[in-house]
Amino acid sequence: MNRRHFLRGLFGVSIALPFLESFSPRKAEAGPGDIPPFAIFMRQANGCVQKTDDEPEMFWPSQTGALTTESLNAESDRAVSELSAYASRLILVKGINFAFPGNGCGHSGGGNQCLTAQKVSDTPSGNESLAMGESIDNRIARELNAEGVEPLTLYAGKKAGYINEVLSYRGPKMIRAAEHNPITAYQALFGLSGLDPEVLQKLAAQRKSVNDLVREQMQSLMSRKDLGKADRDRLDLHFQSIRDLEIGLQCKLTPEEVAAMELMSPDSRNNDNVITVAQMQMDIIALAMACGTTRAATIQIGDGNDSTEYYINGVRQKSFHKISHRIDSDGSEGPVIEGAYLLHHEIDRIHARMFKYLLDKLAAYDLGSGSLLDFGVAVWLNDLGNKYHSYTDVPFVLAGGANGYLKTGQYVDVNGVHNGRLLGTIGAALGCKNDAGGPLDDFGDPELPKGLLTEIVAG
Amino acid sequence: METLSAPSSVMRRIPTLLRAGALVLACLLPSCIGTIGGSSDEQQAVLMVPERSAFPRLTHAQWENSVRDVLRLEQRPGFSASFTGDPLGGVFDNNEAVLSVTPNLWADYQRAAEELAALVVADPARVAALVPPDEGQGNEARARAFIETVGKRAYRRPLAAAEVDKLVALFNLAPTVIDGDPFLAGVEHVLSAIFQSPHFVYRVEGTQEPREDGLIPLGAYELASRLSYLLWNTMPDDVLFEAAAAGELDTKEGLRTHAERMLADPQARDVVLSFHRQLFDWKKFGDLYKDPAVFPEFGPEMGQDLVREAELFVEDVVFTQEGGLNELLTSRTAFVNDRLAGLYEVDAPSGAEFGKVELDAEKRSGILTRAGFLAANGTARASDPIHRGVFVNLRVLCARLPPPPNNVPPLPPVEGKTTREIVASHTGKGTCGASCHGTLINPAGFAFENYDAIGRYRAEDNGFPVNAADAYPLGGGMASFNDAISWSQMLAESREANECFARNWLEFAYGRDAVVEDAELITKLGEESRTGMSVKELLLELIASDAFSTRRPVEVAQ
Repeated sequence: MNRRHFLRGLFGVSIALPFLESFSPRKAEAGPGDIPPFAIFMRQANGCVQKTDDEPEMFWPSQTGALTTESLNAESDRAVSELSAYASRLILVKGINFAFPGNGCGHSGGGNQCLTAQKVSDTPSGNESLAMGESIDNRIARELNAEGVEPLTLYAGKKAGYINEVLSYRGPKMIRAAEHNPITAYQALFGLSGLDPEVLQKLAAQRKSVNDLVREQMQSLMSRKDLGKADRDRLDLHFQSIRDLEIGLQCKLTPEEVAAMELMSPDSRNNDNVITVAQMQMDIIALAMACGTTRAATIQIGDGNDSTEYYINGVRQKSFHKISHRIDSDGSEGPVIEGAYLLHHEIDRIHARMFKYLLDKLAAYDLGSGSLLDFGVAVWLNDLGNKYHSYTDVPFVLAGGANGYLKTGQYVDVNGVHNGRLLGTIGAALGCKNDAGGPLDDFGDPELPKGLLTEIVAG
Repeated sequence: METLSAPSSVMRRIPTLLRAGALVLACLLPSCIGTIGGSSDEQQAVLMVPERSAFPRLTHAQWENSVRDVLRLEQRPGFSASFTGDPLGGVFDNNEAVLSVTPNLWADYQRAAEELAALVVADPARVAALVPPDEGQGNEARARAFIETVGKRAYRRPLAAAEVDKLVALFNLAPTVIDGDPFLAGVEHVLSAIFQSPHFVYRVEGTQEPREDGLIPLGAYELASRLSYLLWNTMPDDVLFEAAAAGELDTKEGLRTHAERMLADPQARDVVLSFHRQLFDWKKFGDLYKDPAVFPEFGPEMGQDLVREAELFVEDVVFTQEGGLNELLTSRTAFVNDRLAGLYEVDAPSGAEFGKVELDAEKRSGILTRAGFLAANGTARASDPIHRGVFVNLRVLCARLPPPPNNVPPLPPVEGKTTREIVASHTGKGTCGASCHGTLINPAGFAFENYDAIGRYRAEDNGFPVNAADAYPLGGGMASFNDAISWSQMLAESREANECFARNWLEFAYGRDAVVEDAELITKLGEESRTGMSVKELLLELIASDAFSTRRPVEVAQ
């Protein structure tokens, strides 16, 4: 097939010229079961309904210890019971805290910390505050991906403007933009799938000649003596972003799945499409992991303080943010929403089912020696604890043992451990190292106590 | 003579404190203006212009417009709709601090450049618009002429001979990597390279020669780009290029003449609308949910109606009335179709089309009493004084409000019969919210209690008379108002709102945060706005400033 076949004549019409996957499959020769471990992080906002002074436990099981499908089903009033089919592959981790205070906005501060375990910036502050260091997906990609291959950073839902993406950080205050449109994410990764090798070779040569010229222009600009630091960093990032086309494994979704993404494209930020878009993004994430395109991915559900108006029993509810505060206001005071905690619990379940969709997708890739899910770890996390938007008891639900590194099938209460320890342990499970060459036991702010979360490491 | 003489380390620290508010800026001014030491005029000039990026990246809208103009297309190609979005950099989308080329955006640019190039060569008419006809001059001479003219538009300056040579080399290489006609392959390859070049993606500013006062005047082509991206959000046109080549932009008068020419062009309207669209958050209008049981008249098409009404209003204020903030806040001219006419209790002058009306002076004033703002800051069923008040504080007054507390304290029981009474019982005097809500947020929002969740006028709320009167700290004292009409008038006459308007325009026009070096200019423009300066004149003054036409030398970190 000639790539020109993808060009359809008119400007302004969506044109499906496939282009370089941002991540070239690294192990084209990999056989089934030869998948390097990976991590996927799905973020829910606004805390969950767990026990507080005046609300009952509706999230965790009543007993710590071994998990079975039966034990989870027996407590069907708990949100995690939605995941009962995966009991033997789950690790429910209660007792994870964020170590640092927010700076004027609990949501932003929680979002900043949840994957970084770093302090929250002094400036900017409030809803614009940022994390002071890199996130775990960035660390994994930096250390384990081929050079220049990014973590996959996806998003489902509207971008409301008050707080948008919060998860992925290249470094202090350097938040990574998240892709909200599945077809764009898909094309970026797998757009060239299906081209003839000969066409690809020519395309690679064509691109290399342009890249070489652009690199030369960039180097000339970067050699200027009058560059401030911000400009130097800006040009550096651009220069590092230029990649030549590597030809490797071809991976693709079905034409029906791709067509559905194209159809969704104009409405991908629409309130009512958040779940469908999340599922499409998860299809892409699962494919990316199956093809070994990257070792880390994040998907954020909803905006920073998720204002999605979810449907419960067919009725469009007030924004999740308001429900999570139990009042009909985005501020700190307002009229009470009656029964809000029950609505919040239903929204927790909606997230549980979205997470289960991801697990279903991963489990469906049968690699002979196990399913894709067993080779990696998928994490459903929150960036806040409960209805008070606390930084303690922030729920983390893991699934998949990262090729046997993690001890699955259990519910543990670690009783107040900072999240850097959990994130570092996930990094260690994938092969990330500390400076001394040992497993990554010092992820996050250097002030934090070091060590692995041994409770979840297989003996 | 007073001189700005705070030590530079202090100057560098202050800006971050100031981002949130001109009120704070105004408060701090006296401490920045002193007579300590003996700064020379030189230092003074330099201290009035903040250091900024020499590589502002094109916004996605600028990318679209620039591609259209480089390729001489009739319309924007529309490719940027699928580009990776940029992180939020304050109110406006063009803050240079957050615009960078990440790996994903680089891939987007690459794809778009290849698609554009392929689409051009697939159409002989488009090729003919860019490449001189074949008159026997030879392919390389034709290619060279094409590279020089299209390259100049893409880089927004004439190309150096070495730059042309490199692109000619790429042209000659093309047939080995692109199938088909060799000449067209060359055109395609060169176009693809041009649109991926940093000289297209960034507005590169490289002039380094300072004048006597220490500031570096921008080169003529750099100035032409700043001017045209400010007023048209795209690259310079041929007239501006010629003016740059002829040195016409080197004088303040010449610059103003061209700015006036460009302001009269329809493209300037889009820029003025873009400023107001972002400042007043019109994009929210399209995604409003109102309970159909309470507001059956608020259908799904209402969102677009409200945006159109707002656009026509701002166009009328800025370009027909030649007005400024005062008219924006107090004009009663409105543009309505049949759906909006009912909401404003007027007859629709043009049926389903939008037509001009004058609204009731007792019930409506400028932009803050229009349904768009009021509905976007209303809940599904009720008015929302807190959000209306927060919006006016942040966007109209540039007041620095601390963000809401992290944790919600237990709420006092609901008391009161009207929305105002309920809100006051939770947040007013005597509650933990008294300091922010009681003095700043609630009054600025209670003023709009005469308007319900969709912006309809009401005299009663829940069967009880509306009370929209309150007082707000303005001009050093407490200013009392009766309702949204007098509140709008008071804002229009206040130093605070006019300085805030000037500050927002500065950030938008310059594509960067307002910082302490801008304080004097903001004060001056605020005062002129307060005494009747139009938006157009405000723009011309921003262009006349050194902050627009010069650069401050960079202090390179060692």
